[in-house]
Amino acid sequence: MRIAVCLKQVPDPATVEVDPLTAALDTRRMLYIAGPADTAALELALRLAGPTGQVSALCVGPPAADAVLRMALAVGATEVRRLWVPPFLSLQAPAQTALLLAAGLQRATIPDLVLCGARSSDQGSGQAPALLAEFLDWPVVCDVTQIAMEGDRVRVQRRLDRGAREELEVRLPAVLAVEANLARLRHASLPGLMRAERASVPVSHLEDLGLEPADLAFPTASVRAVTPPRPRTRPIFTPDSTRPAHERITQIITAGVTRKSGKVLEGPPAQMADAVVEFLRERGFV
Amino acid sequence: MVSIPLEERMRTVRFKVDDQPHIVVNAAVCAKCSVRACVYVCPANLFVPLDDGGILFNYEECFECGTCYIACNQEGAIQWSYPRGGYGVTFREA
Amino acid sequence: MALLSKEASLALVQQVHRLIGMKNGVAPHDAPRPRPQRNAPRPGAERFDVIVVGAGPAGSAAALVAARAGLKVLLLERGEYPGAKNVSGAAFYGSAILHDLIPNWWEQAPVERYLTRRVLAFMTAETSVAIDFRTTRFAEPPYNGFSILRPKFDRWFADQAVAAGAFLLNAAVVDEVLWEDDQVVGVRVRRDEGDLRADVVIACDGANSFLAKNAGLQREFHAHEMSLGVKEVLALDEAIIRERFHLHDNDGLAIEYIGAITEEVSGGGFLYTNRDSLSLGVIGQISSLAEHKRRPYELLETFKRHPAVAPLVRGGRVREYSAHIIPEAGWNMLPKLYTGGMLVAGDAAALCFVAGLYLEGINYAIQSGIAAGETAVAAHQERDFSARSLARYVERLRARHVITDFANYRHAPALVNSPRLQNLYPEIIAAGAEQVFRVNGGPKRKLLPIALEALRRAQVSPVHVLQDALQAGRSFGW
Repeated sequence: MRIAVCLKQVPDPATVEVDPLTAALDTRRMLYIAGPADTAALELALRLAGPTGQVSALCVGPPAADAVLRMALAVGATEVRRLWVPPFLSLQAPAQTALLLAAGLQRATIPDLVLCGARSSDQGSGQAPALLAEFLDWPVVCDVTQIAMEGDRVRVQRRLDRGAREELEVRLPAVLAVEANLARLRHASLPGLMRAERASVPVSHLEDLGLEPADLAFPTASVRAVTPPRPRTRPIFTPDSTRPAHERITQIITAGVTRKSGKVLEGPPAQMADAVVEFLRERGFV
Repeated sequence: MVSIPLEERMRTVRFKVDDQPHIVVNAAVCAKCSVRACVYVCPANLFVPLDDGGILFNYEECFECGTCYIACNQEGAIQWSYPRGGYGVTFREA
Repeated sequence: MALLSKEASLALVQQVHRLIGMKNGVAPHDAPRPRPQRNAPRPGAERFDVIVVGAGPAGSAAALVAARAGLKVLLLERGEYPGAKNVSGAAFYGSAILHDLIPNWWEQAPVERYLTRRVLAFMTAETSVAIDFRTTRFAEPPYNGFSILRPKFDRWFADQAVAAGAFLLNAAVVDEVLWEDDQVVGVRVRRDEGDLRADVVIACDGANSFLAKNAGLQREFHAHEMSLGVKEVLALDEAIIRERFHLHDNDGLAIEYIGAITEEVSGGGFLYTNRDSLSLGVIGQISSLAEHKRRPYELLETFKRHPAVAPLVRGGRVREYSAHIIPEAGWNMLPKLYTGGMLVAGDAAALCFVAGLYLEGINYAIQSGIAAGETAVAAHQERDFSARSLARYVERLRARHVITDFANYRHAPALVNSPRLQNLYPEIIAAGAEQVFRVNGGPKRKLLPIALEALRRAQVSPVHVLQDALQAGRSFGW
């Protein structure tokens, strides 16, 4: 089995510091990691591929992003490749990333399955996996919470809103975008870590991928200005002047808020349980 | 701000938390300890005394300095090692 | 005579090694703790000429020296990058030493400011008396000292070892050394298939010194031998720093504080100027912190609020908080510095010089790292990695004045941590200075009566003062 994993290097949220006056990010203090959903995808790929399978890792990013590909090599990826564009093309749109990834995948032996993180922890639009599937003309399932291989098909569970789940069966090859909490990446062995440190990470540029700068001309949202968030003006409660003094004081103290009313159930346990279930049913929780 | 509470100060430090704790505190030994040096000396305030005489300990925001096990006068109360490679505190100071 | 059991003969050999060490001027130390089980490397472990554990200043210096000599060197670091776990003030006074290793190193290294002003301040709760030393001679290459930020400096220094050919591996924590026939032959990294072989292992794993303890070269530490330093880096505008501390361009200042800032806890404070930040912190003896039930970060707050410190840090924004321990007992806690196949350097060898006037460690780390690297190179030339061969490490340390500094100042730590020196004398100096400078219409008094009255009020007998003066003389004077 041949599985490709798409990884993205993102700032570690714990190291993102915003200047309170200018809203600028302090890039000097930022450290970078592989996205948590992406590392979950990598771990799943290693498990699904098994000892005989092939796992390749792709990453669109600058030279510093070699670190995430080395990390992939250390835990057992058999092949890695970094994809990058000249500096004048600043990558903004998920479609650009997806197109580069699709080109990178088509350039090598086509895998049976592509695993991606469901969304990156920086931009987080969650579009790249779907767009990648579009460029490959493959099926895609996003927000995947479970994967089981069944021959040339894969059974997946997908997260829907309000805690609902959907089960799907997909024919391979396919793109699956998995959630961050699905798996925790293994700790690399020492020989793995040393091999990864010694490896050189191959890079593909536009011409290697058979692409032209014009191919990446997707409509993008551009940032015009960044303004720091201002605290929202808070409406100040004014008491009703027609009321007597002690009532106005009470109104000021409570700020006109009426407390949420709770309900204390009494009676035998079975009856109370029924009442709880009834309450939940009324509000559509069960 | 020059003066900030400890919690806010701890937020300036980056921790990559491992799922395996690198420090294990033996609650049975701590229950018999009256000195409780660890509570005072830890620069990250990770040892919190409990009403029942025990000690609540969190390893997640540890500086890995070693002060607690050096200060601890109870044999075997603190089992101390460094976190696994790549985990734990990362100073940046840039 | 009955045949010795294997354990007994091992113990005997170790005893002999210890004697060799002592004869070479290594401090006697308590009995090592019961020896942990000695494991041999598993077959198939990768082999290096030298493995250096810890990519701090000692480790990078050792790796650099060994790699330059053409040895196959592995430099292991447990952090995400060299410096990620390392904290110092940091004032680095080893510029000339590093200059010998990397000419004009300051032109390429991430340094903050060269230190041309040193201040020693005696503090009471309201008063401070300071000795302010300043010279433009420290502003000329190779400079006397620099303020640095360790995560940046250590990373740069490790890169120099890599450029010389050493193989740097991050995220690798070493738990034990591996043995064959009483000879250290490798290390075990806490990862699957973590065994590695080397002819020489150089332990530069920092103040906790776990490898030296594991190898039976170091004993457990006492809480009075170790201090805890807590530190903050405060962001402050470059122009404000120059203005506030009266500095030109890249001039820098280092202030060391003695007295009330750590209250009754034995210790001190420091403040160093960086390019666009200040490094400041307090250091407290661990036993003393525990005894007085003082939390280190509260002492740091007290320090920042002191009337002599507050105006210096005003407007600073906390960029990072950190903490680290410092081996303080000097001579009395030096480990046995070598055994067959293994050397110990830097903080791991307790080579940290803390004695009131002095607060130095990085320079000794680099000195010992170079000495260890050279010893490993010489051992490779002779293909002899026995304890006898590696014993020349101690001679090299002596030639670099490392051992001699620690021996000459062996009485200083006890004196510096005595309550009289910690709190009483700063109090007396400050009170005396106040008497001298206060103008209130009364008669002007001469210095001796002022000093004697201050002593009388503090209930200190002149005998004690004389004792301390002699002790100070012995520690620092002659």
